[in-house]
Amino acid sequence: MGNDKTPQQKLDYNLLFILFLMAIISAIAIDSAEPSLPLKLQEVNFAQKQLMWYGVGAFVIAATMIIDYDRFFQIAWYLYGFGMLLLIGLELKVPGTQTIKGATSWYSLGPLGNFQPSELMKIFMIIVLSRIIVNHREKNPNPTIQDDFKLLGKMVLATFPPLLLLMKQPDLGMSMVFTAILGSLLLVSGIRWRIIFGIIFSGIFVTATLVFIFFKFPDFFHKYILKEYQLDRFYGWLAPYEYSNEQGFQLIRSLLAIGSGELYGKGYQNLEVYLPEAHTDFIFGIIAEQFGFIGASIVISLFFLLVYRMIHTALESHDLFGSYLCAGVIGMITFQVFQNIGMTIGLLPITGLPLPFISYGGSSLATYMIAIGLVLNVRSRTKKFMFSSDRQ
Amino acid sequence: MKKKKKPQVPFRLNMLFFVVFLLFSALILRLGVVQIVYGEHYRKEVERTENVTVSTPVPRGKIYDRYHRVIVDNTPLNAITYTRSQTTKPEETLEIAQKLAQYIEKPTDKITERDMKDYWILTRPEKAKAKIPKAEREKLQKKWKKEELTNKEIDKKLYELTLERITEDDLKEIKNDELEVLAIKRELDSGYALTPQIVKNKEVTNDEYAVVSEHLEELPGVSTTTDWERHYVYGNTFRSVLGSITSSEEGLPRERLEYFLARDYSRNDRVGKSYLEAQYEDVLHGQKAKVKNITDKSGNVIETKEIYKGQRGKDVVLTIDIELQQKVEKIIEEELMIAKRGGGRELLDRAFVVMMNPKTGEILSMAGKLYTRDEHGKVKLKDYALGTMTSAYAMGSAVKGATVLTGMQTGVIQPGTVLRDEPLYIKGTPVKKSYETMGAINELTALQRSSNVYMFKIAMAIGNAKYRPHHSLPIDPEAFTIMRRYFSQFGLGVKTGIDLPNEIIGFPGNSKLPGHLLDLAIGQFDMYTPLQLAQYVSTIANDGYRMKPQIVKEIREPNNDDHDGTQLGPVIRGFEPVVLNRVDMKMEYIERVQEGFRRVMQTPRGTAGAFFAGKPYRPAGKTGTAEAFYDGPIKSKFMTPTRNLTLVGYAPYDDPEIAFSVVVPWAYQSERNSYPINKKIGEKILDAYFELKQKRISEAQTESSSVPSDSDMSMTEEDEQ
Repeated sequence: MGNDKTPQQKLDYNLLFILFLMAIISAIAIDSAEPSLPLKLQEVNFAQKQLMWYGVGAFVIAATMIIDYDRFFQIAWYLYGFGMLLLIGLELKVPGTQTIKGATSWYSLGPLGNFQPSELMKIFMIIVLSRIIVNHREKNPNPTIQDDFKLLGKMVLATFPPLLLLMKQPDLGMSMVFTAILGSLLLVSGIRWRIIFGIIFSGIFVTATLVFIFFKFPDFFHKYILKEYQLDRFYGWLAPYEYSNEQGFQLIRSLLAIGSGELYGKGYQNLEVYLPEAHTDFIFGIIAEQFGFIGASIVISLFFLLVYRMIHTALESHDLFGSYLCAGVIGMITFQVFQNIGMTIGLLPITGLPLPFISYGGSSLATYMIAIGLVLNVRSRTKKFMFSSDRQ
Repeated sequence: MKKKKKPQVPFRLNMLFFVVFLLFSALILRLGVVQIVYGEHYRKEVERTENVTVSTPVPRGKIYDRYHRVIVDNTPLNAITYTRSQTTKPEETLEIAQKLAQYIEKPTDKITERDMKDYWILTRPEKAKAKIPKAEREKLQKKWKKEELTNKEIDKKLYELTLERITEDDLKEIKNDELEVLAIKRELDSGYALTPQIVKNKEVTNDEYAVVSEHLEELPGVSTTTDWERHYVYGNTFRSVLGSITSSEEGLPRERLEYFLARDYSRNDRVGKSYLEAQYEDVLHGQKAKVKNITDKSGNVIETKEIYKGQRGKDVVLTIDIELQQKVEKIIEEELMIAKRGGGRELLDRAFVVMMNPKTGEILSMAGKLYTRDEHGKVKLKDYALGTMTSAYAMGSAVKGATVLTGMQTGVIQPGTVLRDEPLYIKGTPVKKSYETMGAINELTALQRSSNVYMFKIAMAIGNAKYRPHHSLPIDPEAFTIMRRYFSQFGLGVKTGIDLPNEIIGFPGNSKLPGHLLDLAIGQFDMYTPLQLAQYVSTIANDGYRMKPQIVKEIREPNNDDHDGTQLGPVIRGFEPVVLNRVDMKMEYIERVQEGFRRVMQTPRGTAGAFFAGKPYRPAGKTGTAEAFYDGPIKSKFMTPTRNLTLVGYAPYDDPEIAFSVVVPWAYQSERNSYPINKKIGEKILDAYFELKQKRISEAQTESSSVPSDSDMSMTEEDEQ
């Protein structure tokens, strides 16, 4: 069997179907969240707009698929440079930047709304890191442990500049996504397990040390490490009832909404608990309250299936670059899903990350669509052999 | 570039997938815990979570005089209140108003035209709709939609248009009984959510109260409680210092809204807005009772929790002796009336008295009266006790004690220094002299007979001036600073430190001409308040220790068990006497001035000897007559030369227990019309003080022999009758 099919014919319909289900869930969830929005926002039909964005997203996917993903390999560093320029623009607060809730993370695009360059940068980051790994692998077919460290160094070095800019915005959630992308690509890059475990253990060690200092030498901790107000996020997460700060309040409302949904949910549009940011960050709460554990589990499973399809693509691809792209996308989506849902059920501290594909928001949806486009692109250009020779 | 994969890549991808699996499993697991294990708990929490906290006002603290007689009390009133929730709709309040109207009478005088129009629209929806015909309505809606107005804004505009189109005739449809409903509804709507709003608290009859209480069930939000009205037991006495509180319509004063809201006040709370009521607001205002109503989803109260029982405000005990205060005020009134009968005294309109304990600074009486006429030309004497600390006058010779002490301290005179009292001729100024030429005198005589020239010579010596008759008199302007510095040690020209707001420091003159230095020495340049004058004489009486004047003696816990108000709760905070400073002068110097003051009052040649010689309480003091210029309310008489009469003193001279100042500004214009109102008032208030003291001692004796407890109190009441 040769590669005689056009890319369009080799579309991954399973994945597209999952995406279609996501669009429906998103529209239903946003629609039911609308009554609990502030009055000035109730005039806007967010569900309709979201579907429109999905329509735009279809074009984005198509556009991403037209170009062979090898082209992305070639222009990886240009994309990276472009993304960095946009981020630096934010840092310098050039005209057109938008500051919302103290974070300068957006450009205003007039009637199209606000555009968050870090969303695009995630994709560019995945492409650049994948390229770095591929190049490194080509140069060192039999890597020594020094080579592994070199690779690690290169990858960290590439991730560091955008990460620094994101921290300064400040955008904690987004910085964590970048770290997650780096982590997932490190895992698949093939560097030695001991390095990976070394990183994990040193992470655990640092955290443990910080916790130790916090309890044993609180003055030192507050003076040199984190200020009291920066800890609010953690207080709100670990003890929402004692620390009724903003995060604590949001977590309590969210737990009430989700918990009271119980197994079967309260039914469509039966919402009792007011949730802040119901149509964006806390959309999962809306779903879990209306459709209960069953509905919420279905949504999570759908995400799992989505990831499964991507893993499938990554495994089938004969091309390292293609596999790495998929791995990066998987890391990005998994982390965002885990972080967003995790924060609504008190598993993680609250940060402002939307739930991929479900939360309302044009620029984030467009980004995931590009990511999906990348994965579909990889799949459509994977040659299938009857006798796969790369499995040994 | 497509190459064969390294074998480890699929394995690593599977590891990645495994991690994803773990993470998602964690999510599902945790979701299960939240929704299934604790689901019921959260559901119950949601069902009972929409609860409301209602705080009910408590009475303010009372104000007592030093002998625990109530000066400011609370009168309980029957009240009908209404508490609305955040979601109450106009239709609901209308229904409640209609029901309430059957049970209570409500005056309809506060209704505005707008109220009537709103009511008309609410009760006649069909007619109101007809005010804007359908075609027009649609046209307008379209037009406004184009202007990108929200639905809410459009509704508002339509409503406003309807209001405009309601005619007088339409409003005439509203009958009288409806007006009452409207008046009640108006009150119901004016409150803030979750804050009890008084619907009626004036003249609620027992019948009304009972009937409403019986029907509370059908009147959600309505309750019958007790409201409190501030009652000033002694009427106008001391009223201006006691201050006042806002009405519940006024609510919190706008300029301090944030301050009060942050302290858990409601917007319609009554708070102190001036003087004592304002100064001790923190103490006087109570802790509100807080009740939490826990309701289920449909709004039925399933549980009522008392969060805080509430406590009425703490009581303030003043240092004022209200009986003395009443007498003093009466004396001032009588003397003012007598003085006003004579001619040439048309500028006289006020008199002040401050009496304090020189050893502790406790103010026993602080009185001021203003002689005014109302619009019908009838004489009215208004309370102006505040003037004792918020207005200042030239005090004249009363300050000479400070001048003599300043002279001794700067070394220009010694105890017993003899100077010649003679007319001083200074170039460019009218002759400076005493009212009679006294010849060679020492400082005791200078005080006794109130020599001006003796004081002038002290001032000239301080200013290093060489007096040569008919020449100009150059002085060192530094002398002003020196004299004012020593004067301020007695409280003259500085804050006395009384625990009331808005005290002024007087008005220092701003020229530094030599003639003015001489005027300063006899109290005719800088202006002081009557309270400063009292503090000055207290300082001399108290051997040079300047005490902080105090009007609040202690703060007491409210006594909740006590219903007739005679037993006070325990003291929370007592105010100890505060020494502000000790003057620099040696005791030896002060004793000379004390002796001079004694001679003023106890020897026939003393300027006040005619009034006080032979008094059993052996007073000491100093008179003052300032040649002043009128600066009072009659603008056309501005700068008319006039006389301010003052008197300061204390008694008994050897162990003072009371010090006082009397100030009568603008008493008369020329000596022809002179009338010693200062000495008359001074004599009477001292008599009154010692009579009261005697009375209290004899009462205490009868009390100790026969048991009855509050004879003190009953005697007071008899006195009033």
